[in-house]
Amino acid sequence: MNKKFFVVFAVLAIASMLLSACGAPATPAAPVAPEVQTQVVVQTQVVEKIVQVTPTADMSKPTDMPAGSVTVNGAGATFPAAVYADWAYAYQYVDPSVVINYQGIGSGGGKKAIVDGTVDFAGSDSLLADADYTNGKDLQMYPTLGGAVVLIYNIKLAKPLPTPAAGATAVTLPALVLDRQTLVDIFNSKITKWNDPAIVKLNSAWADYLPATDIVTVHRSDGSGTTEIFTKALASFSADWKAGGAQSVEWPKGNNVGGKGNAGVAASVINTPGAIGYVELNYALSNSLAYASLINQAGKTIVPNNASVQAAMAGAQFSDKMTATIVDSKDPAAYPIAGFTYLILHTTNMKDCVKAQKILEFWKWAETDPSAQSRVVKLGFSPLPAADSKLMLDGLSKVACNGAPVLK
Amino acid sequence: MSNYSEKIKAGYLRRLQGRKVINLLMLAVTFLATLMALIPLFWIVGYVIYMGAPSLNYDFFTQLPRPVGMEGGGVLHAVQGTIIVTVLAAVFAIPPGVVAAFYAARHPNTPLGVALRFSTDVLSGVPSIVVGLFAYALIVKPMGHYSGLAGGAALAIIMLPTIIRTTEEMLKLLPSNLREGSLALGAAEWKTSLSVLFPAAFSGIMTGFLLALARAMGETAPLLFTALGNERFNVNLIVTSGLKSKQNIGQITQRILDQPLDSLPLTLWKYASSPYPERVAQAWGVALVLMIFVLLLNITARLWLANRAKKLRG
Amino acid sequence: MIKQPQPLPESHPLSRIRQFFQHGDLLWRAILVLISILVLALMLSIGWMLWQSSSNARTIFGLSFLLPTTDASWDPVNNLFQAWPFIYGTLLTSLVALLLALPVSLGIAIFLAELCPDWLRTPLNWLVELLAAVPSVVYGLWGLFVFLPMVVAPLGTNLAAVFGQIPLFAGPVTSSGASRLGAALVLSVMIIPTIAAISRDVLLAIPNSQREASLALGSTQWETIWQVLIPYGLSGILGAVILGLGRALGETMAVTMVIGNSIETSASLLRPGYTMASIIANEFAEAVTQLHSEALIEVGFVLFVMTLLLNMLARFLVWRVASRTPQEARV
Repeated sequence: MNKKFFVVFAVLAIASMLLSACGAPATPAAPVAPEVQTQVVVQTQVVEKIVQVTPTADMSKPTDMPAGSVTVNGAGATFPAAVYADWAYAYQYVDPSVVINYQGIGSGGGKKAIVDGTVDFAGSDSLLADADYTNGKDLQMYPTLGGAVVLIYNIKLAKPLPTPAAGATAVTLPALVLDRQTLVDIFNSKITKWNDPAIVKLNSAWADYLPATDIVTVHRSDGSGTTEIFTKALASFSADWKAGGAQSVEWPKGNNVGGKGNAGVAASVINTPGAIGYVELNYALSNSLAYASLINQAGKTIVPNNASVQAAMAGAQFSDKMTATIVDSKDPAAYPIAGFTYLILHTTNMKDCVKAQKILEFWKWAETDPSAQSRVVKLGFSPLPAADSKLMLDGLSKVACNGAPVLK
Repeated sequence: MSNYSEKIKAGYLRRLQGRKVINLLMLAVTFLATLMALIPLFWIVGYVIYMGAPSLNYDFFTQLPRPVGMEGGGVLHAVQGTIIVTVLAAVFAIPPGVVAAFYAARHPNTPLGVALRFSTDVLSGVPSIVVGLFAYALIVKPMGHYSGLAGGAALAIIMLPTIIRTTEEMLKLLPSNLREGSLALGAAEWKTSLSVLFPAAFSGIMTGFLLALARAMGETAPLLFTALGNERFNVNLIVTSGLKSKQNIGQITQRILDQPLDSLPLTLWKYASSPYPERVAQAWGVALVLMIFVLLLNITARLWLANRAKKLRG
Repeated sequence: MIKQPQPLPESHPLSRIRQFFQHGDLLWRAILVLISILVLALMLSIGWMLWQSSSNARTIFGLSFLLPTTDASWDPVNNLFQAWPFIYGTLLTSLVALLLALPVSLGIAIFLAELCPDWLRTPLNWLVELLAAVPSVVYGLWGLFVFLPMVVAPLGTNLAAVFGQIPLFAGPVTSSGASRLGAALVLSVMIIPTIAAISRDVLLAIPNSQREASLALGSTQWETIWQVLIPYGLSGILGAVILGLGRALGETMAVTMVIGNSIETSASLLRPGYTMASIIANEFAEAVTQLHSEALIEVGFVLFVMTLLLNMLARFLVWRVASRTPQEARV
């Protein structure tokens, strides 16, 4: 038995040597960090990193409650999650007695949670359906901020960019430009290659660099208000878009993958050369991802930023439910895929009046405090125009608990 | 004639040679298969250490996460949350698990015993995501909100079958004269079970606990719709605020268990699918911490068992 | 002088009652039975809950929910749901994983049970079991950032180049490597320890007389293993395989992280897809319409029934081996 083993092991030793000589793919090579493979980084605006949050003394009310006595749970849209997380973090210095927890689980999840009553407030950029108003009787949506849905892409260039002469600035490509029809065709899988004439025509500077590779479209795998804004825009852009505009749609069959949350889409685009996906502007900025400019209804090429979203928001017509759709605006300065994101609250039957007060104080602070509002722009979102902001605050002041208004 | 038998012999020897070569070859292949299966283990462990170690530091265990874009921050919330849901799961699962195991070991052939063992087997095969659905319907929906309690209950369902089965097996291994002796001395059945049989099988049962605990600790799917997640979860804050406003232990515990919380695997999943490089780096750190926890529990369990086996033999 | 109370005669009804209640054993037994019934009830109520809370979806979609179709819709906007893409994704990834894991696991089982020198056996057993202990999210993390780009993407590209004509290997491969193939490979690593450990135990339970008889007839060791031991323990090994399959079917996190989460109708192994478990993980928390969540719960129910049936089959097979080898077992 033992002797046999020596023979066996000799065979094994040789075999394993052979195997390793073959360079089995399983041997770990130098570890690669999941790095951004984007070849072109074009945007000039970079999110200012928040280094420190300073307490804003003027807003802080003296409170006799010890730190962390009240926990407020919110969940919903990932679209504004960066701002909400930032506000929640800053607010611990304003009112230490309350801990605000916001989970970005998707607008669909937020709406479901508030209807089921599993959270104290919800975030959503997708509108509540009539049935939801019937189920959760006293629900109300309040706009909190606006933002742009941008197209991020990861294109492996057909040939490398020319190396600049010494001293000269590096050659860069401008942001990819798409028009409304081309965008619809890409997501309909009618345009499947990056060097399709329709794309080349819009991007003369890119002509030599667009590769003949497949376009992979990345969409949200979860119920999403970002998807709702995006698909509503697509539906408005062209009658070719048949899937409709909703928080989750049946994507046309083609070369596409899904990612969970805005974050998941961004991660998928980063990891997939040839990919194009849609995310809130913040996700593109904070990851230094290239994003496309769009040609709007008026024929102007628009870069998504605070100004172009403000232009779109200026034309907002709010319904009696305090909601408005602002995609495909006619304003020549407006970015065509913009939208509001909303806070959803129970207006009359919040059970815990102390908690209700803390929630409303937080949102009032968020909408009125200058430092809170300035952070909105820094993060790549757009604060509400003054009129809309007033509409929202008026709405908040009507929220009642046990019959008495919560905000004094 | 002799020529003929020579031929047969030569043919036989040739075939024998072939068979021996095949023998050695196949035996070598089985060894290679073993090696091949272990490559992923070393690859994963090595990679997790390599990628995860740089993000581990004091802050990592003592700070809450900061908003994306801010430097630093840690996963204190997830460490606390993991401990809470796992301990809760153990509290929910161990007493009924042990009791059910006593029944299964004592009455294996009654209809209830057969049904019990069958349902244990089925439970151990139920996909963890389905357990999550069940816990959502059972606890989250009626309670009206996501909570650590619901997460603990979901994990308890995952732990239960492992506990029942290992305890049952350990009880069966005990020599029957232990039980008979105790009964003959006049001890009641319950007293025999709890103060003779249970201590005798304790180290084996403990192994089962630890393995079940390790499995529950690494589970994500049952927590998705129950514990949900909570980046601002901080037990210290809840306890200090509770003490300041003169709440009793019951109220404080209730406040801790009543809110959504994060666990290490849940955080790992969220961070891994996020596009922010600093979050992804932290995800590797979380993976490392999780691996250390889980592997430590496993190794402790095995050592415990090996030790006991040695004692029994010696 | 204390007067001793006269013990009641055995036949006295009161003494019967006292015996019955003696030392609180009745209570103990009641607790045992109650808890056991609770465990039983827990299992039943999982099935019942899933069945009950998917009733609308079941009546509206009927069998079309489950049947194969090339043009399945999963459309929350118009409330049309067909689960075939997920069922296909689950079955395909699990079966491929099984196909890949089986030879390796059998090799491990044979090595550990028959060949391994004693000093190596314990550490190897440990390592194989540790492989089973790695949390599934960690597999997912490693799969997503290491395994997909380093192994699956190049492998998939080559497969598509060579076998591209066959629908099962049709491209294009996504450049990140996220695909059903990736999921199948990660799953195969995850189920190897399950299959290997049970097969090893099955082999160890085969009586030594079988080996001795075979060796005495002049078989080599490999011939003994392949022609005697494996057929002898076949049903047990089959049970192990089925348990492994059950684990693969229900695996959620690792698969969700590597499969690409796309509702694909193409049959290709190299394309991204979805499994039943991963669609629930992704969509349940945010399914707003009643029908959407019911459809997801129905998917959960189908998954539950699949694993239930597989488990029953596996237990039956393993039990058959165990009951056939009563005394002589080697260990």
